[in-house]
Amino acid sequence: MIYLFTALYCEAHIFIRQFHLEKNPENTQFQEFYNEAEGILLTITGIGEIAAAAAVAGICSKYKPKEEDMLLNIGTCACREGNAGVFVCNKLTEQATGKTFYPDILYRHDFEEEAIVTGMLPWNDEKNIPGMPAAISGKNLYDMEAAAVYQAGAYFFGPHQMVFLKIVSDGGTAKEVSEKRVENLMESCQDMLFSFVKQLSLTAAENTRKEHCFRQEEDPVIEKLSADMHCSKVMKDLLKQYIRYLTLSGTDYASVIQDMYREDLLPCKDKREGKLRFEELKRRLL
Amino acid sequence: MKSLKEDYYNGFFSHIYVEESVRNHPRTRAILDKFPLAKVIEIGHYKDVFCRSRQSCILQHRSQNLILAAKQGTLIYKGAPVCQSFGNHHFYYTSCMMNCIFDCEYCYLKGMYPSANIVIFVNLEAIFARAEEMLKSHPMYLCVSYDTDLLAFEQITGYAEEWCNFTEKHENLKIEIRTKCANMPFARKARQIPGVIYAFTLSPQAVIDACEHHTPSLADRLSCAAELIKAGCPVRLCFDPMIYLPRWEQHYGEMLKQVYDTIDLTKIMDVSVGTFRISQDYLKKMRKQEPDSAVVWFPFQNENGFYHYPDELMEQMELFLTEKLAKKISKEKIFRWKE
Repeated sequence: MIYLFTALYCEAHIFIRQFHLEKNPENTQFQEFYNEAEGILLTITGIGEIAAAAAVAGICSKYKPKEEDMLLNIGTCACREGNAGVFVCNKLTEQATGKTFYPDILYRHDFEEEAIVTGMLPWNDEKNIPGMPAAISGKNLYDMEAAAVYQAGAYFFGPHQMVFLKIVSDGGTAKEVSEKRVENLMESCQDMLFSFVKQLSLTAAENTRKEHCFRQEEDPVIEKLSADMHCSKVMKDLLKQYIRYLTLSGTDYASVIQDMYREDLLPCKDKREGKLRFEELKRRLL
Repeated sequence: MKSLKEDYYNGFFSHIYVEESVRNHPRTRAILDKFPLAKVIEIGHYKDVFCRSRQSCILQHRSQNLILAAKQGTLIYKGAPVCQSFGNHHFYYTSCMMNCIFDCEYCYLKGMYPSANIVIFVNLEAIFARAEEMLKSHPMYLCVSYDTDLLAFEQITGYAEEWCNFTEKHENLKIEIRTKCANMPFARKARQIPGVIYAFTLSPQAVIDACEHHTPSLADRLSCAAELIKAGCPVRLCFDPMIYLPRWEQHYGEMLKQVYDTIDLTKIMDVSVGTFRISQDYLKKMRKQEPDSAVVWFPFQNENGFYHYPDELMEQMELFLTEKLAKKISKEKIFRWKE
């Protein structure tokens, strides 16, 4: 599953349309859009660090992301040197605290990479934002959510699960950026963005499949053997370990167990016999 | 749904994180010159990247990155109790690099470090200076390639050569360069330095295939060891850690035959034998990181906070090798790991 966060509806509309995301009317705090088949949950956080952190924390506490899930933050940003296009952020600095965060850039992408500074105020006149000239240097990007999304996301995701994509909308003239302009900007690069989201979606799906395959194979065997040997909790845990090891090492443990059933060594009549049979099983298995 | 392609991951060292304090260090510049296409990201301290929480060593191993930093604080450490001291009293180790290009499933580094990215400390002179200080008060046996594989990284850092030069100048220093690498260009140029021991970790090819990913074959490791012996260098063979796998006797027997065919054991400095053992804290982290690895999910026995194979199996495996080796080399040269 991809947890996609944007600050504004005008940044989200292309994804809602493309992936047929449906609004969840039960969430009254944040606008939430979902499509189970696509594995995408999009949330509109609102503008600024507090709103972004609250939305990420709220959504993730509710849905509890798994290890194979991804967090994707997409939105517009400013850039002093007139850079244009879509950027993957490889370094996020929170302007207020100077704290810096580094998401892993594990996956290939077709975008440029850049560092981003996240501030509390829209960038209109840098003289009115304390620390701004020092924080923004060279080609650095500027937004109002990324570092906050990372910090809140870090409670639920690892750095390899978080990706930050920013589209440059202006050169520090936030008040001139209208909703319509953002919508047009998003549409102008939508093909690249869709392609990237689909690749991420594949990653999440691939990891989910691996996890499920393993569990489905081993669980019934453990439950039956555990019952037939009258296993205590400790014995059952050890049995789980043996079966897990044997499954992973490709050992044919099933035939060894079947032999024991054939020889009437299993099932056992009580715990005492179960302990003896477990020792015998271990001896035969390794 | 189509399967995710391997090439979806970035290439190795596509990103290089550099501490601001070493941005202009000559070694930093030399290393960066070797990766002209890498994206360089400035960082304050290597731990800002290396010690982030919830990292995935498994995924990072598919796209390892470099971190260039300055080593601070303790530069040389006392040898760990789970490591073989080979009878040396003043047993120490140092980490001029952290992590390894190879991806061995059972490697303790996966339990010890929170990241699979490779840290290179570019201020090697600081470690040399500390070693010189210590050598004033006593001789030293120093393992310089424990938490990494220096020879595997020689083309990028040149650290093995620098350690050789340093050791050559200090008679009371003995270093061990532990490796799974088969760096033949290095071996062909190697010169005899009595204080530099090249220690090759050897495993049966079946173990290499199953869980020592990206490492050279047993044949290549042995050829490299043979080349160093030819140059008169002290060479140690480490059958440690021995890894259990079904039909282990057959696999370890075949390995020994290959060793005998390639190496003149009378010219070996010594050998070490030990089965896999690891602290419970490390194994717990490794199991979380590697849910699909058979080698770390073996049902080990826990003794005083350390996991090892069941006593009987451990004894069988270690005796199997030591008894066979004892027929070829004197017993004094066989070091079996004991707690």
